[in-house]
Amino acid sequence: MTHLGTLALALAFVLAVYATCMSVWGAASRREMWIASGTNAAYAVFGCVLIAVVALLHALLTHDFNVEYVSSYSSSTLPVQYTVAALWGGQKGSLLFWTFILTVFSTIVLAQNRHKNRELMPYVTATLMVIALFFLGMLNFITPPFERLAFTPKEGSDLNPLLQNYWMTLHPPSLYLGYVSASVPFAFAIAALITGKLGDVWIRTTRRWALTSWFFLSIGNLLGGRWAYEVLGWGGYWAWDPVENAAIMPWFTASAFLHSVMIQEKKNMLKVWNMVLVILTFALTIFGTFLTRSGVISSVHSFTQSGLGPYFMTFLILTLIVSLGLLFYRLPELKSENELDSLLSREAAFLLNNWVLVGLAFATFWGTVFPVLSEWVRGVKITVGPPFFNKVNGPLGVLLLFLTGIGPVIAWRRASAKSLRRNFTIPLIAGVLFGALFFLFGYRNYYAVVILSLCGFVAGAIFSEFFRGTRARQAILHENSPQALGRLVSKNPRRYGGYIVHVGVVLIFIGIAGSTFFKIEKQISLKPGETLEAGRYTLKYEGIKNSEDDHVSVQAAVVAVSVGGRQIDTLHPEKRLYKRQNQPTTEVALRQTLREDLYVVLGSYDAPSQLATLQVFVNPLLSWIWIGGIILVLGTCVTMMPSPAERQAFAQAPVKVRTGSEVGAD
Amino acid sequence: MQKSEYRSACARILLFIAGTFLFTILSLPIFANATVNPTEVEESLTCQCSCGLTVHSCNHLQCSFAVPAKQTIAEQVGQGTAKEVIVQSFVAKYGEKVLSAPTTVGFNLAAWITPFLALIVGGIVVSLISLRWSRQRAQQGAKEKQVSDPQTNAYRDRLKKELDTFES
Repeated sequence: MTHLGTLALALAFVLAVYATCMSVWGAASRREMWIASGTNAAYAVFGCVLIAVVALLHALLTHDFNVEYVSSYSSSTLPVQYTVAALWGGQKGSLLFWTFILTVFSTIVLAQNRHKNRELMPYVTATLMVIALFFLGMLNFITPPFERLAFTPKEGSDLNPLLQNYWMTLHPPSLYLGYVSASVPFAFAIAALITGKLGDVWIRTTRRWALTSWFFLSIGNLLGGRWAYEVLGWGGYWAWDPVENAAIMPWFTASAFLHSVMIQEKKNMLKVWNMVLVILTFALTIFGTFLTRSGVISSVHSFTQSGLGPYFMTFLILTLIVSLGLLFYRLPELKSENELDSLLSREAAFLLNNWVLVGLAFATFWGTVFPVLSEWVRGVKITVGPPFFNKVNGPLGVLLLFLTGIGPVIAWRRASAKSLRRNFTIPLIAGVLFGALFFLFGYRNYYAVVILSLCGFVAGAIFSEFFRGTRARQAILHENSPQALGRLVSKNPRRYGGYIVHVGVVLIFIGIAGSTFFKIEKQISLKPGETLEAGRYTLKYEGIKNSEDDHVSVQAAVVAVSVGGRQIDTLHPEKRLYKRQNQPTTEVALRQTLREDLYVVLGSYDAPSQLATLQVFVNPLLSWIWIGGIILVLGTCVTMMPSPAERQAFAQAPVKVRTGSEVGAD
Repeated sequence: MQKSEYRSACARILLFIAGTFLFTILSLPIFANATVNPTEVEESLTCQCSCGLTVHSCNHLQCSFAVPAKQTIAEQVGQGTAKEVIVQSFVAKYGEKVLSAPTTVGFNLAAWITPFLALIVGGIVVSLISLRWSRQRAQQGAKEKQVSDPQTNAYRDRLKKELDTFES
């Protein structure tokens, strides 16, 4: 089966070359048959990569330890779900998985556009296939996943224990889906630049793909945070690790694009800027991949240091040169009728929003690469860690939150003083009330109150938008409240879905503010029967329970949790030893409520003295981060729903099927 | 748009940007008046066990670096040693990489200044572009007014009123 995988990858490479050449040649010579042949070859690339993925999965599931990758990242006792996750747990497998997602998306794009965008599509195919070629080149010539060992080990080395967590089965695929789907808007942008079809067709075609990319990047980052929170055991969820930064940077630029593209659609402005954002987002996804695989910057997330860095860097530089070169070439045609009716308009607010989002991306990029710069310039290795990013990105994040509230209350085109007064009243009152409420409940910290007040301001702005829209429908169409609200959203899913996303963002900020400024930490060694106080909780350590299977041995502390003398829960923080890798890990015990998380880690256990060291965190409001994440995801789903005009157009669209003779006639 | 109205709008937007900046700067934690405590010193140092976290956050309770470092910090804070002195003692022993954030002197200053400098330059560019575009619109509006007649004006006023009601 692995020989079949190797063969499939070689064939995929050849087919990708063919698809690229035929698409470009066909488009240049206007030969539809060649274009069709290139498209079919692209479909075949997907088939070949699928075979390679199935072959590697088969090798993992059948424990073919003669395959170097299988031997390095799995074992015979690894549970099935993690054996499957081992597909993306190592360097080679993750590159194959990336290529697989790319070819899946390529296939979907080609199928979606088989009767549309005929001038753009050959170049879209070619761009996607060039990206696939790069990865297939790696898989065929640099880091082949089916490489065999000279001997067959009896047992595999197992998957890194930190990756043996259910969030880890979801987090990397989500991020990869986000990263790879950014290739589609990029491919359309390149096609638009090559063909000179620079209208808003490519923007409209790729809007949902940009949203898809943003959607999966959001999920990937949230799941990554959740994984770090549950597995790493330091009581936090985001450490500004270089690889975390690599995942958040394209999210920032994609967020900027999703806002600025509205200005292009509504006012035909910012054509060049949107192109830049699409190119930048794609480049940052490649940069992120470069970071994890080059070993240039040390990170807990990095794959084993490999020689892939120079290839990724070359690809990244070539991508930037070609795409920015094309952009420069088309600059005269991209000049749009840039006009702002007023500086106090939603367009202007979106420009500010783009400024901050790109500023955040730049600050994150700068902090990430600064250690490398320092080593080049001064020859001194330095660290740029969480304190730097918290100080630089923190205020920018607060500014962004502020602008999130400003956007909805400023009208498009021009905001009059009267409308500003009217629209700002509810948000301002909400902001003051929110801050006061949290202050009264004991959240007394200057920065926290500022952030929480801003959260109230943004929530008030969003609420007033829904309220006014619903009231208007009730008054004009005599609908009842739920009906009016439902139809308000379904008639304009993009606008109101966006507001729902903003609600999610507000909740995430509430969670960040609460857990950052009011965190309680305790660390203590206890004997059975002894207690410790953490916030309003009393924790009584009752003893240790041991358990074991073929794969892992577990020491679980039994900790009774009481509030006000009444026992409310029993927690079991664990210390695990994964036998194959002989690596201890912590399994956090969590008690989550809307008010706060009680987070208990078993640091160590000394059997002779029965002394257990517990680390306890009380993280106020932290659950709101995950709730906000869920709302953000739901809001994104709403924005992706077709608008009434799109639904109507879809229903009325005739299905055009081209026969073979028609294709031949071209 | 009249010239005076336009200037007043510009003044408002610049005031808004300035206010936003001021708010941001005041919100910077670096301006916070902090008292020295062990946690603060621990947060200033990066753990050298490859966990990538600060000494304070390192989750390896038997960590060969974080555990003794925390003890040293607690002792020195207890003796009333200043934060800078404690941090410098670690830098002398392990080099600059032990700091969790770049210093604010020499080349390292670039780490702190560049993002804000870029943001300020970006802000100026955005402001200038916005002003230029709104000026273009104002000129266009003036041309439209020159060719207007009472009936067109009435329609324009009505459209403006309805758009304001619709979009606000």
